[in-house]
Amino acid sequence: MSSILRVLKFATQDFFRNFWLSFVTLTILVLALFSINLLIIFNVIAKDAILVIEDKININVYFKPEISEDQVQAVKKYLQSLIQVKDIVYISKEQALEDFKERHKDNPKILASLDELDKNPLGASLLVTAKTTNDYPKILEYLSDPQYDSLIESKNFDDHKLVIERISSITQKVNTGVATIAIIFTLISLLIIFNAIRMAIYTHKDDIMAMKLLGATNWFVQAPFLLEGVFFGLLSVIVTIMIIYPLIGFIQPYIGSLLETDFNLINYFNQNFVAIFGLELLGAILINLVSSYWAVSKYVRV
Amino acid sequence: MIHLKKISKIFYPKTVALKDVNLHIRPKEFVSIVGQSGAGKSTIIKILTAEEKATHGNIIVGGWDITDIKQREIPVLRRQIGVVYQDFKLLPKKTVFENVAFAMQVCGIPSKRIKNVVPQVLKIVGLKEKLDRYPHQISGGEIQRAAIARALVHRPKILLADEPTGNLDSLNTKDIIDLLLKINEFGTTVVLVTHNKDIVNRLKKRVVLLDSGQVVSDEEEGKYIL
Ligand SMILES: Nc1ncnc2c1ncn2[C@@H]1O[C@H](COP(=O)(O)OP(=O)(O)O)[C@@H](O)[C@H]1O
Ligand SMILES: [Mg+2]
Repeated sequence: MSSILRVLKFATQDFFRNFWLSFVTLTILVLALFSINLLIIFNVIAKDAILVIEDKININVYFKPEISEDQVQAVKKYLQSLIQVKDIVYISKEQALEDFKERHKDNPKILASLDELDKNPLGASLLVTAKTTNDYPKILEYLSDPQYDSLIESKNFDDHKLVIERISSITQKVNTGVATIAIIFTLISLLIIFNAIRMAIYTHKDDIMAMKLLGATNWFVQAPFLLEGVFFGLLSVIVTIMIIYPLIGFIQPYIGSLLETDFNLINYFNQNFVAIFGLELLGAILINLVSSYWAVSKYVRV
Repeated sequence: MIHLKKISKIFYPKTVALKDVNLHIRPKEFVSIVGQSGAGKSTIIKILTAEEKATHGNIIVGGWDITDIKQREIPVLRRQIGVVYQDFKLLPKKTVFENVAFAMQVCGIPSKRIKNVVPQVLKIVGLKEKLDRYPHQISGGEIQRAAIARALVHRPKILLADEPTGNLDSLNTKDIIDLLLKINEFGTTVVLVTHNKDIVNRLKKRVVLLDSGQVVSDEEEGKYIL
């Protein structure tokens, strides 16, 4: 017990005695962790953006006004049997008219001209959603079969594929960039930590030699440095959390307006708190432990 | 107590520091090891504390064959041996008390016992009044006495002193030698490495003379001639 307390005391003393070195080490560690978190933020946003856009892709199949509901239902049944199709919504002639009126309710001229017609000029339509974005061409192909094509007035396929591809490619580029930065920071922090610890240990060389010659175990010599490593890991993750939360709080409103979703970044971080920061803590501690173990073992071998 | 059997030490690539050294030191003996600089005196001390490994031969300390001592057993060995070096200085940022206490902390001895033992040992070496001083605030002789106190806190059966008076004037030297004799009278085996002829000749104890890594004479009540 007393030796554990002593180790703790030596570790804290050392942290404050080498304040500037500790500060620089901590800063670099935080930068490394920060860039990793940026990477995470960017990825979840990009993923959500793609989901939103994918959701908007569908085919509108407009039938000729004279086609009966039974005929439309038959087409619907056929489409439902296709494995590429995920979902179909039937919009009746009446519904179409309602929607049309609703859309143009501010334009009395159009409404007036509608009233002059005694028959509903609009046809029924089907809103088809495919399982994946790659399934749409196939569905369109099935629909161009004369059997169906003769019933159809027009097909409307909003191809957002280009947008998705662009987002994917941007995501990939940014990912590579940020990942490179994260790796560089991690390497720098490894180097700095290793050197900081080596410097600290070099200044303690005499103490270490004395300790060893007085019969200290390697554990007793190593433990304060290892413990300090754990301190650094813990502290750097805490500082990172204190930076990340205000940052995502700041970004959040922009995500809402930009992507038209209710995706909540703060919730995402809250729900994955343990996974994200727990892993980062493990990583940070590991970096510290490895470098301090490495640096000390050179002097311990007396 | 200490038994060196045909010890050789070769430093890479071919410095022969010790060659076929046989040395048997009985409990409670006071032995001086003398010889010119580079004769291999310090190497013997380092082999006894497992700082260096012998290239050939066997080493037995207190009945324990430490020839192939394991890394994790070394602390156990060192806690049974007190060592004082010419240049094994006190830690400058610790007081005399803290320096001596440090030796006990390192071995996980409870604070209560440390507070008890350290003043006692400092009294033996005559530093009771100066335990709050830092090394730069006391004389060379006092530093060496503090170092002896530090070596003694574990109540070791063996005290190794490698040129403990190397940097001291004759008055301080006499004090340190007297202290070593007193410790020996208490029953501790003392091995004193020195090249000070006056000390050795006055001591009238066993003298082992080393030359180029070999024992060239080993006499009870010996004199350091050469
Ligand atoms: N670590 C070492 N590496 C190489 N040679 C060494 C080392 N330590 C001592 N020696 C050599 O071994 C010989 C004996 O040294 P040492 O035991 O220190 O002599 P002494 O203490 O009698 O002056 C010397 O020639 C010295 O140069
Ligand atoms: Mg020497």
